[in-house]
Amino acid sequence: MRALDKLNRRRVLKGMLAGSAVTVGLPILDCMLDENGDAFAATGAPIPPRFATWFWGLGLGEGNWVPKTAGADYQLPVQLEPLKPFQKKMNLFSGGEVFLDGQSNGTHFTGVQGIMTGKVVGTGDYSNSIDTVVGNVIGNGTRFRSLEVACDGDPKACWSARSDNGRQPAEISPHALYARIFGPEFRDPNAAEFAPDTGVMVRRSALSAVKERREELMRDLGAADRQKLDNYFTSLRALETKLDVQLQKPEPLPACSKPGELEEEKKQVLTMATDAMERHNLFAGLFAHALACGQTRVVSSAITAGMSGLLRQGDSTNHHTYTHEEPVDATLGYQVKCAWFQSLYMQALHDFAKAMDSIQEGDKTLLDRMVVFAFTDHGAPRLHSVRNYPIITLGSANGRLKTGMHIPKPGDAATRVSYTVMQSMGVALGDWGTASNKVSTPISEVLA
Amino acid sequence: MTFSLWRGLAVGASLFALSAGASAADDAAGDLPLSLRLSPGQYKQIIADVFGPTISIQGRFEPEIRTDGLLAIGARSVSISDTGIERYDDMARGVAAQVIDARHRDTFVHCKPQAANAADDACAKQFISLIGRLLYRRSLNENELGTQVRVAAESAAKLHDFYAGLSTSLAEMLISPDFLFRYKRTETDASGQRRLDGYSKASVLSFFLWNSVPDDALLKAAENGSIHTQEGLQRQVDRMISSSRMEGGLRAFFSDMLGFSEFEVLAKDPTFFPRYTITVKEDSQEQTLKTIVDHVMVRRGDYRDLFTTPHTYLTRSLAALYNVPLPEKTDNGQPMHWQPYTYKEGDPRAGLLAQASFVALYSPAGRSSPTARGKALRENILCQKVPPPPGNVDFKFVQDTSNPQYKTTRDRLTAHRSEAMCAGCHKITDPIGLALENFDSAGGFRTKENGVVIDTTGELSGVKFEGPIGLAKVLHDDPAVVSCVAKRAFGFAAGRLPASQDADWPKIEAAFKDSKYNVLELMRRIALSDVVYTVPARQVAAAQK
Amino acid sequence: MALKSQRLRHLVCVLAGVGAGLSASPSHAETRGYIVSWFATATNVVDFKANCPLDKNGGQVNLNVRQLMGIGYTKEEALQIVQDSGAQLTPEFTKRINVNAKLNDRPVPIFNYPEATEDPQIEMVTGKFAYGFDLSSKTAQKFEDPDTHQMIDNQLWRAVGCLDSFRAVPPGKPYPEELSWNLMIDSAPGWSLRLVGDDLSKDGKVTVILDRLTQHLQRDATGNVLSNATYIMESSKRSHNEFQAEIKNGMLTITPKDLYLEAEHPFYFDIALKNAHMRMQVTPEKIVGYWGGYLKWQDFAYMYTSRPANGADSIGMYHALKKMADADPDPKTGQNRLISGTYRMEAIPAFLADDSGKIVAVPGGGEESTVAANTGIKVAN
Repeated sequence: MRALDKLNRRRVLKGMLAGSAVTVGLPILDCMLDENGDAFAATGAPIPPRFATWFWGLGLGEGNWVPKTAGADYQLPVQLEPLKPFQKKMNLFSGGEVFLDGQSNGTHFTGVQGIMTGKVVGTGDYSNSIDTVVGNVIGNGTRFRSLEVACDGDPKACWSARSDNGRQPAEISPHALYARIFGPEFRDPNAAEFAPDTGVMVRRSALSAVKERREELMRDLGAADRQKLDNYFTSLRALETKLDVQLQKPEPLPACSKPGELEEEKKQVLTMATDAMERHNLFAGLFAHALACGQTRVVSSAITAGMSGLLRQGDSTNHHTYTHEEPVDATLGYQVKCAWFQSLYMQALHDFAKAMDSIQEGDKTLLDRMVVFAFTDHGAPRLHSVRNYPIITLGSANGRLKTGMHIPKPGDAATRVSYTVMQSMGVALGDWGTASNKVSTPISEVLA
Repeated sequence: MTFSLWRGLAVGASLFALSAGASAADDAAGDLPLSLRLSPGQYKQIIADVFGPTISIQGRFEPEIRTDGLLAIGARSVSISDTGIERYDDMARGVAAQVIDARHRDTFVHCKPQAANAADDACAKQFISLIGRLLYRRSLNENELGTQVRVAAESAAKLHDFYAGLSTSLAEMLISPDFLFRYKRTETDASGQRRLDGYSKASVLSFFLWNSVPDDALLKAAENGSIHTQEGLQRQVDRMISSSRMEGGLRAFFSDMLGFSEFEVLAKDPTFFPRYTITVKEDSQEQTLKTIVDHVMVRRGDYRDLFTTPHTYLTRSLAALYNVPLPEKTDNGQPMHWQPYTYKEGDPRAGLLAQASFVALYSPAGRSSPTARGKALRENILCQKVPPPPGNVDFKFVQDTSNPQYKTTRDRLTAHRSEAMCAGCHKITDPIGLALENFDSAGGFRTKENGVVIDTTGELSGVKFEGPIGLAKVLHDDPAVVSCVAKRAFGFAAGRLPASQDADWPKIEAAFKDSKYNVLELMRRIALSDVVYTVPARQVAAAQK
Repeated sequence: MALKSQRLRHLVCVLAGVGAGLSASPSHAETRGYIVSWFATATNVVDFKANCPLDKNGGQVNLNVRQLMGIGYTKEEALQIVQDSGAQLTPEFTKRINVNAKLNDRPVPIFNYPEATEDPQIEMVTGKFAYGFDLSSKTAQKFEDPDTHQMIDNQLWRAVGCLDSFRAVPPGKPYPEELSWNLMIDSAPGWSLRLVGDDLSKDGKVTVILDRLTQHLQRDATGNVLSNATYIMESSKRSHNEFQAEIKNGMLTITPKDLYLEAEHPFYFDIALKNAHMRMQVTPEKIVGYWGGYLKWQDFAYMYTSRPANGADSIGMYHALKKMADADPDPKTGQNRLISGTYRMEAIPAFLADDSGKIVAVPGGGEESTVAANTGIKVAN
């Protein structure tokens, strides 16, 4: 039975990738693009940048993953070998640190809080992650403000958060994500005919009714409840936007194609790392299509929770436990069993990039037009440290990021990488972060 | 004994202030919202109570936040995200479409429209005011009614369908803040004091005891003001506790207190725990809730005896997990039934903590963790806070299973505790967790690990004991056990912990004791106490610890 | 160590409520419960070439070619048709193939009348090894058992062992049996196996008791059969079998005797073995072994001819079985009605109850079962 399940998933996966490949083969209607291939000829609107965050748990190994040389043509460390095909399209940042400023290191949390929100606060607050900040600049007017997925079945594993308290619930089922994006509400941007849906119009106007009562609702409430209600109305606006978008004829997007449907998953929560990887690849394929079809411009993925509970077939000890227990191999300089998981995650990151890179938009690929910001919760996994973070970016942000480099910044704020990436996405912030994690200058080596 | 333990904890807490300090600081600041977001359980219960069990709900809810040990308290600090509202919208449209479909509409719409393909304001108004009063837990004012009727009319006109119009209006009500958040509104009583208005009071009561919206009788008590009299309140509370819906409240409270929301992300490696099937995962939660309902409501038992009670309920799959026989004389092909089961005296599998809903829930997928179990027991059963592990700790000794020196989990943890930095926390979690090592990660019973007999001696509050039975007995006599359940029940009702200035609190505790620690009596006493209905001029100061 | 086991003994004594601790010698017979969790024709395909040097039977393509030749095409024509029709022969051909039997000169369906169909002469096993038991004095047809190295009778294997669908290595089963096992396991009642003896942890005399259950098997999280679940046994004596047996070095053998277990088609109608022999490796956690004897070859063939879509050459198999049948000649025709054969089986621990709900056998081994055996048992109605 199990063997059969596997076979089906594999087949689906293969089918999915084949779907992407078909997309590559589609002739790009260059007449629709301007001479540079960077903008739509009809409107002159530039092809928008896209943004992805990609989280993996538990770092890369002790210190040995840091390449010996800086700049281009560096030797990829063994943990990153799966990314070899994309070395020219990626940057590896090493040495960055999250400064605790006297706060305790809440393992699997504080470091991410720093990298993703720019601040380290002991209250467990986690809000305004960089994907949200970027989304506010590039993501307006799309059907979904953003899409979030978690590949291990834990809807809390993804690190995207709005100004609300708490992270956004991530989709854990590719089947469900497919239905959300490409279900009956999907409007093919390249369809010749467009007629706004009466049902959507009705819903849109019904929503206005809730908004009309806003003042009445606010009247009796204290300040904190008002704030909470404000957040609700912000979300309601996002829902309105989603409906508005559905009521307008979409801009044609030659690279857009609808992927094949996916089977419903038999299991929700996963225990095997390889299963999480298969699910990840289904998500990656859906993301690529959703980005190409203009359904959203910001996506976030987590292949594991920070405290990765994933297992290797036949082994009862999970990745997280191994980071604590496994001795560092004296010769190799890292934890061998942990490295198996790390390589698998990096293979998944490769597959993610490949899904994006296989979509051609004018003279560039989707990957070229975006940045995939790959980050983790800890530097040295065995010690669960917040120093020497590996951060990887893939893609060149429509040409605004130079790529192919290793950028060592020992002792520098890891937030500087986040800040640089946000700038490449067009976020205009004079500075970002708080206390020691505050940065005001980007990494000039990579910013074009 | 408890004191010395707390001193140990305090050292840890000052080191790791992250979560320990958070809630106290928030409460002192006094600016936490009073409104509570409906929990997934409440949402489902309301739909079932208002529209009946045949209406299905499709979709995933937003994650909840646990504060001071309860999602019911965390519900104060959560709003609704972009993704969340999209899902609430999907669910609302799904529910509304079913309510007005041909099969159900006559049950809920008690009038016939003049024409099925056009608006009918009078009929729409009748439906909306009836359903709206239940969903919003209060009568809709004219303005609100007018808006909803208008939405229904506009939609009916565009879609040429009266019922589709009702559906649009209902769906919109189901995503409105009035439905999704439980607000506490105040009014001035005859003596000029601020108090919760009758509707808000009715809501506190019904969500506490029933985990759902007030029924018509309770709303009437709010409307006619009788809920504000001690006699009227008592009448309602007695009625509610003897109602069949009370079981729902009791189940919701213990699901929250025991952390059952974590089942959503629980999985076991089938290679090592083949008996832990999806059915077993579902059944194990139900087993515990059935045990509790039977113990509290049927047997009227002492809460402390839950940890030793030999009485429980099992299905054949669960029995296989626990390795106990459970003959079931149903015909082949019939679904498995729950059967009462009584352990013989001295069986280590008796009592709440031996159930998979505890030992499996607080274990990683591959193997057991005395630390995680000990932490869960401290936090969920004793209301004690265990600081998170610090970063930058060398875990080199912990559970290096390949080291022949450390065969059992106890050996490995002992080595780890030799590190001073780790000792502080682990000495408060491990000695109790190790007593449960007879249960593997999935809840199966075992006596050996790696061929070595498992030593299940443990220690709690300075008392040494042996195995799960010993642990249950020590828990039975630990005053923290009863004070914890009382605090959590209060928190479940009030959305906050009891505070030192809550004058009624010692009386509630005393009444609980007098009832021989019957949880139903505890809930009754809390429901009758002013303290859950008080209006905080400012948020209560330092929470009582 | 000494301390720990002392404590454990104390614990077990308390639990048991009687003086019988781990090391105490049992004062009464021990009964261990198992359920049969795996069952199929015993295959032996370690070296297919040695078994079937001609490799003549092939798979579906070869079968189709043989069938087409049976209705008059030349080999070349048949190959061409198979090549043209892709995965499956078109109805144009299958219709003709399926009525290629002749009864009183009229075409009749081959699967209903396999005896009226021409023998396609499939290749049979000529190798040296097969699992089984020494059942007869017919030395010419014997195989060598790869485990015991005894010369044994297994003409069933000789007949079917060169068919593709029997090229299975446990835990795989012959393909049609795998299919029907998975189909039936969730609905057809299973079989129980009890071991009764003075001390099953030691060598000695034991009794093996087989029964049919009233309930189907439950599955575990991997899709295999769940261990340590509780089953009620059928009260009917029809499928009740008791065998005197002996365990030596963990290997159990029985005193041969007839065996009957009711089953459900399409898995098997029943398991009926004349002169049944058994050899089972016994541990508290698992039993793995072989059951052999004489069975009705027509029943076995019917499992395949009644479901021809399983890829096996059921007509070829029918004729092979008929030819290899080696016992119980029909007094009129002389045709043997029984064939020597061997099944491979596995069993896993279970609680077994009689039809009143009384537990009569518990999973073997370990302190866990000692605890289990001594806990209160309450039976619901």
